[in-house]
Amino acid sequence: MVIHVAPKELKNDFWKSKDIKISFGEIIHDGEDSEEKESELEMGPTPKPSVTDLRSWDMKLLDRYEPFYAPFCDMCCLCTYGKCDLTDGKKGACGIDIKAQQARIVLLACCIGAAAHSAHARHLLEHLIEKKGEDFPIDLGMNIEIEAPIIRTVIGIIPKTLGDLREAMDYMEEQNLHLLSACHTGQEGSNIDFESKALHAGLMDNLGKEIGDISQIVALNLPKGDEDAPLVELGMGTINREKPVVLCIGHNVSSGAGILDYVENNALEDNMEVCGICCAAIDISRYNQHAKVVGPISKQLKFIRSGVADVIVVDEQCIRTDVLEEAHKNQAKLIATTDKSCMGLPDMTNEDPDKIVSQLVNNQIEGALILDPDKVGEVATKVALKISKDRKTLKILPEMDEIQEMASECTECGWCTRVCPNSLPMMSAVLEAGKGDFSKMEELNNNDICYSCGRCEQECERDLPIMSMMARIGENKIKEQKFNIRAGRGPIQDVEIRKVGAPIVLGDIPGVIAFVGCTNYPDGASDVARMAEEFLERNYIVVTSGCGAMSIGEYRDEEGKTLYEKYSGDFDAKGLVNVGSCVSNAHIPGACIKIANIFAKKPLEGNFEEIADYILNRVGACGVAWGAYSQKAAAIATGINRWGIPVVLGPHGTKYRRLFLGRTDLEEKWKINDMRNGTVVQGEPAPEHLLYAAENREEATVAVAKLCLRPNDTSKGRQLKLNHYIDLHRKYFGTIPEDVYKFIRVEKDIPITYKKDIKAILDERGWLPKKITSEPSIRDFKDQSSPENFKNKSHPKADAK
Amino acid sequence: MYERIIPWQPTAIAGPKQALLVTPKTAKMMIKRAKRPLFVVGPIIKEDPLLKLTIDIAKKWNIPIVTTGDAYKTLRDREMDSNPYGIVEITNLLKDPEWKGVNGEGQHDLVMFIGCIYYIASQGLSTLKHFAPHLKTLTICKFFHSNADASFPNMKDEEWLNYLEKMKTA
Ligand code: SF4
Ligand code: SF4
Ligand code: SF4
Repeated sequence: MVIHVAPKELKNDFWKSKDIKISFGEIIHDGEDSEEKESELEMGPTPKPSVTDLRSWDMKLLDRYEPFYAPFCDMCCLCTYGKCDLTDGKKGACGIDIKAQQARIVLLACCIGAAAHSAHARHLLEHLIEKKGEDFPIDLGMNIEIEAPIIRTVIGIIPKTLGDLREAMDYMEEQNLHLLSACHTGQEGSNIDFESKALHAGLMDNLGKEIGDISQIVALNLPKGDEDAPLVELGMGTINREKPVVLCIGHNVSSGAGILDYVENNALEDNMEVCGICCAAIDISRYNQHAKVVGPISKQLKFIRSGVADVIVVDEQCIRTDVLEEAHKNQAKLIATTDKSCMGLPDMTNEDPDKIVSQLVNNQIEGALILDPDKVGEVATKVALKISKDRKTLKILPEMDEIQEMASECTECGWCTRVCPNSLPMMSAVLEAGKGDFSKMEELNNNDICYSCGRCEQECERDLPIMSMMARIGENKIKEQKFNIRAGRGPIQDVEIRKVGAPIVLGDIPGVIAFVGCTNYPDGASDVARMAEEFLERNYIVVTSGCGAMSIGEYRDEEGKTLYEKYSGDFDAKGLVNVGSCVSNAHIPGACIKIANIFAKKPLEGNFEEIADYILNRVGACGVAWGAYSQKAAAIATGINRWGIPVVLGPHGTKYRRLFLGRTDLEEKWKINDMRNGTVVQGEPAPEHLLYAAENREEATVAVAKLCLRPNDTSKGRQLKLNHYIDLHRKYFGTIPEDVYKFIRVEKDIPITYKKDIKAILDERGWLPKKITSEPSIRDFKDQSSPENFKNKSHPKADAK
Repeated sequence: MYERIIPWQPTAIAGPKQALLVTPKTAKMMIKRAKRPLFVVGPIIKEDPLLKLTIDIAKKWNIPIVTTGDAYKTLRDREMDSNPYGIVEITNLLKDPEWKGVNGEGQHDLVMFIGCIYYIASQGLSTLKHFAPHLKTLTICKFFHSNADASFPNMKDEEWLNYLEKMKTA
């Protein structure tokens, strides 16, 4: 049964103009009894928005946060007119200019990212419906009533069963098709419209992720917003190498779950290791705590090269596409499990499992494509059990003396360093190794400063197996590679939102900071953990997911504790909340949406713009994707941006080609509408940027603190937020930030500790007090319900401030 | 020669438009000709002799400094004042012909870079190459930056320090 809160035929404008409330009993359902028969629900103006329905909102965002383009390539090669050279204001043969071309590539990336998440979600959904039935209830437990904040807001339905999620899925797939089509030659011509479409693609990505994670949480009984989710083992050193080892790489939990089920049903838990890399690791450890997390994507090549895994099971996204070749190098067996990456392997889905096992073990096939997760479970386990003993006797990595000998052949050509994405000093590390000093290679290995992309090895003119050398050197300290991570808990509970909604909106909790994304770090994984630690110590709520969550787990503080051991999993000040895998990222905007609904009583259904406007102006949340590399990360960030949440990327993020930057020097850009009294007031640059890239951790840390400021902060909240901003600026820049005057509206906003210094800055700037906006908004007055209406809908507490 | 003028990170190559390879002599000519030059100093400049050379060059030519990353603190510890901006922020401002520059005297016409992370600098230079026809970019790092208008070649440390020494004289 799905609760439809508005008939589909009535188009948006109709709702906009009439501000209609509907009371109806005609809920479409196939169950007999429904407690919600008499529901009175209000449908907002944009249920299932088309590509252009939210365009006016996008234009507001894009006017304030103008796209900043850094072309990564000056040419276009998308059609056979090309290549076209787009430098010096030249247009392509189709008429496109460099800005629109950059925006088109960003849209393409967002479409790919959204497609990856939602094709994954579709696969999961249909697989789980097949297993559990389409009537399987969406029940996230007692503390979560708003089960799907994104679906509610964007689609306008309240999904009650797995089958209900199909409606959101269908809509999302259709939108993505339209968006992708706009990338064709001779379609969209305006960079701003490409950006609006990219924002829509990002929103579709958010939706796909929510569908995916909700499906797996309810159907596979993953933690349901459990703040005390268990700590699970993390790190290369946690894997018992004496046992048969199955390694899962990718993002789709199905095959990993199939393996864990088979292991459990056959009481093999103590006889073998099931572990994962990337989000597959996170999700299998949410499913069954017997699973171990090797680590983020940066561990992929190192760990495969180490030869520890007997069977490698790949599903989808972020898997090395040369994994078959790599598996062959150390006689590991490869099983591909999804239509997304078949790896050229024979389709054995309909074969007898024992026959597949025998063919794999006897090298009759070079690997197998098995599209049935349960069969994957049986085959992977049996193969690992059969080949493990013999494989343990294989010599997979070079010995230290062999490494020294090989390294001494280095010609000092320097190309390993030049092709390294981070220009790491691999040449000098190799040269030292040639002299018997391995410490420099060890340093590069530590904290994944080298994230084993393998580019240096490809380039080496002496064909030195640099990755195998690194893997061997890393083994010297493998025992230290033992950490933990709190199992991904999924959504934030409604009760938690009730508790922290007010402190977040009023500014008493200085911010919610989400560390998400991949491991394309400029200087190793510990930067992310150190940023997280810094904000945890300062009472922020820190949320994390995916590879970022694993990087945080790989760090120990001065007392030797991981941050997951040190901080609770509560969504509260000083809480370190691992929501889960990439798809679980949906719960981060989800929590912000819930704040608008639970705390401020904003209706969600079909009400995207009002919710996003609320978040932009009132919820001090900021995302950090320090190592974002993928198209999925591009889509995630762009989607998050459309909800009004700023994101800080690492320096590699500039290669996405586009950021959304505010101009603090242009006052007119920061005019804001006060919905309480219908006046336009001069606002402040808060948040200053929507999508920013920082050059190093120090800059990012200060930027993040600043990006948590919101026009709605109370003076007490503003003081607190500014205090952190100033503290951090002093720590990393040595001074009180000169721009602090821009964020002081009235004297009461001045943090007491810095009163004297700030007053001096204010005097120097000729500062005058400003009015604090009661209900800040960037929407047009005409788009809002009348102020009267608006107030009635607001929570009494929200009104009181 | 070839090795010296392909981008230090070779895949930073963006297209047919390439930077002009310059020596300190030409670089100094560019500064002399500029009306409102700007010196952007990135966080890689941390220690002497580089730090000292950088400060000496700024002083010699009396060019206002923008520091990126956390380079502001590094310079401040040497009592050298600068304007802290994120590299993407300053690039964003530089591409606007209407921007009044760091001193409010008008948009800059030459921007000289040193010490920014190679690939983010390359992206910023790409922005300026495409969207800031009103100014020229010059990089004096030891890396060839093909997205700049003018760049030093790829060099080893010794040669580079020598180049920078030369930048200190008229
Ligand atoms: S799509 Fe346009 S710019 Fe690209 S190659 Fe074709 S004609 Fe040239
Ligand atoms: S494997 Fe490591 S050192 Fe080699 S290019 Fe990649 S990141 Fe650089
Ligand atoms: S690429 Fe190979 S030969 Fe060249 S410097 Fe690096 S390790 Fe030495």
